[in-house]
Amino acid sequence: MRHRIAIAAALAATLLGAAACGGSDDSGANDTSAQALDGKGKTIKVWLMVDAQSSWKEVVEDANARFTAATGANVTVEYQQWANHLTKLDATLAGSDVPDVVELGNTEMPKYVFSGAFAELDKGRFENSANWLQGLAGPCELDAKTYCVPYYAGARVLIYRTDLFDAAGIKAPTSYAELTAAADALKAKNAAGSNKFAAFYMPGAYWYAAMSWVYAEGGQIAKKDGDKWTGTLADPQALAGLQKWADLVKGYSSGDVTKDESDQAAIFAQGQSAMFYGNGWEVGAAQEQRKDPNDPNSELVATKVKGKVAAAPMPGIPSFLGGSNLGVAAKSQNQPLAAEWIKYFTDTKAQEALLAKAVLPNATNLLDKAATVKGNEATALAAKSSWFVPMAEKWADVEKAAVLQQMLRDIVTGKKSVADAAAWADGEIEKTLNG
Amino acid sequence: MHAVDSPATAPPAPIAPSTPDKPTARVRRRRRPQWTPLFLALPTLVLLAGLLAYPLGRMLVLSFQDMQLRHLFSGATPPWVGFDNFTQVLTDGVFWGVVRRTAIFTVVSVAISIVLGLGVALLMQRVSNGVRVAMVIAMMFVWAIPQLVSAQIFKWMVDADFGVLNYAIDQIPGVDFTNHSWFADPTQGWIVITTLVVWAGIPFLAITLHAGLTQVPQDLREAALVDGASPWQTLRTIILPILRPLIVIVTTLSVIWNFGLFTQVWVVRDSKPEQEYQTLATYAFTQAFGRNEYSLGSAISVITVILMLGVMAFYVRQMFQIGDVD
Repeated sequence: MRHRIAIAAALAATLLGAAACGGSDDSGANDTSAQALDGKGKTIKVWLMVDAQSSWKEVVEDANARFTAATGANVTVEYQQWANHLTKLDATLAGSDVPDVVELGNTEMPKYVFSGAFAELDKGRFENSANWLQGLAGPCELDAKTYCVPYYAGARVLIYRTDLFDAAGIKAPTSYAELTAAADALKAKNAAGSNKFAAFYMPGAYWYAAMSWVYAEGGQIAKKDGDKWTGTLADPQALAGLQKWADLVKGYSSGDVTKDESDQAAIFAQGQSAMFYGNGWEVGAAQEQRKDPNDPNSELVATKVKGKVAAAPMPGIPSFLGGSNLGVAAKSQNQPLAAEWIKYFTDTKAQEALLAKAVLPNATNLLDKAATVKGNEATALAAKSSWFVPMAEKWADVEKAAVLQQMLRDIVTGKKSVADAAAWADGEIEKTLNG
Repeated sequence: MHAVDSPATAPPAPIAPSTPDKPTARVRRRRRPQWTPLFLALPTLVLLAGLLAYPLGRMLVLSFQDMQLRHLFSGATPPWVGFDNFTQVLTDGVFWGVVRRTAIFTVVSVAISIVLGLGVALLMQRVSNGVRVAMVIAMMFVWAIPQLVSAQIFKWMVDADFGVLNYAIDQIPGVDFTNHSWFADPTQGWIVITTLVVWAGIPFLAITLHAGLTQVPQDLREAALVDGASPWQTLRTIILPILRPLIVIVTTLSVIWNFGLFTQVWVVRDSKPEQEYQTLATYAFTQAFGRNEYSLGSAISVITVILMLGVMAFYVRQMFQIGDVD
């Protein structure tokens, strides 16, 4: 309720503010504090992940322009790579010259919130904050205070080759049994032509996928008893999920089983796979790639599978709700300005622009709108049936130590049985989360 | 870590000390006041203190604390935990697995590097001048490539989906290496990594050893030839004993570099090395910077330094013995 009132106040302020500056901006969310926030001559530094640069640069630029128009402050955006951004962030936050706004993946956030890396924010000032997706907003909360703002979400879907499906006379599957039947049909029809063919490309270290199979069977990664975490991957339901996933890898995938999902769209673009399990935006990434991958402004080049790719909800498999959050560094000298920038970058106008880029919005009230955008139907549906990693302070350590990847590699390379690998992972997870 | 990582920045190994200088040096030292050499060495000492002693000291202190991310951000002093970190590391079976793997890799890779390096050096003596120059230039190119770059290139070459190696092997009739994963089996993976390390290590070894070979007096070889010694006997009884001081030095350096193997594994395994690919250096880094267990990582590094010193003591003793013989 408090938030509703806050929003009402913000909206009222918008009217006053809009009248005051005569702005043409109709997205709301300006407020009177813009006057107090005279940022002339100041520059805030924003760390966004590389996705924003490669896929929705104009959304960033639009938010920057609106922010600068309102406050007079400038924005420098520095784009970070997923592979090493946490190490870089740790080193930077230990010093004094820190970025004002930092994007982190939602599973990485709890540890930083707990360690005091981010400043407290006034949740009510951000548009749609009452309806934020729980999988994104949950990691931002500590002791009923808010330390970050949901930015965008992603859900994983089945991405498939329409031409191969047509040739085999099949449609997008609507149940898991249909999925394996489709894979069998595709394998029978295409495997003779190429030994590289994969009816379903599934890299061995793709833990977001494998855990989706675990949750599909009613299993989970870990659960909390009192203040102790217990690994639950060796429970019967989780084992059944892992087995089902491993059967898919062994039966229908080809390629390097030690790989993770980072280059799966590029592999799919080679035209040797009929299906894969990917993020909504990978539908586009599989069909068009930058001529120069290091230059986000270089022209897009069509791949072999251009125009032959479609997405559908993955039948019977709940999706991991991935995504990103934005926080204001506790050591930032420009905290009010930084929070103001986040406000512009996460308001409805910016979110609606993001929808067109095949990612999901940060709030449930925008999710239905997302489902009406062409190409987004499957992901928006997938987001409604989703799971999330254990909400433990040290969960990020489990990811960084690559415990789940190790378990999956051991399973698909046959080093360990499913039960042995799961028992090992449970031990590691307990050690890490309770450590 | 980086200072010892890169062969390119290492000083060239001294070639057998020339004895005539020694007496004059001693005389000079007696005549001049003691502080001149100290003064001249001062910049180096200051640099060493700043770049080595200070971080080493901090690492030692850190290994007795329990530093977490929040201490890093706030600058607060982490709590003291005594030997807890060391107990935790030394009682962990995974750690000893990593130690064993690192040691095996070091022995194997250094042995192969030295043998191949010596082989190339001997070959350089046999070939014509033009070929020798071509060999030196080719090796200089290898030497000049930064580790990060060569590791990245190797990673692409052995990639299961896009790599040229699988493609090339596939061209052999009857062989199917499509999508062959070089890293699913750790033995194969380590063969790839060892190849990379040896390949990058040979230029330094070959050029240094070739320089050493030029010191072997020609008349000794001719005398051996006249006495009817086979090339193998000449190598074993004449060339190797003369080269021995140099071989000890380059072996020592190779052991130091290869024991601290980091970049190659890190890049080839996509900065997420699996357990089977962890070496002491990557293990310490993963603990400290991956999991933010800074103190645990420090403890591992301290243990690594102690292990290294144990190994090095042997070589240092060898070197002194060689000096005595000279």
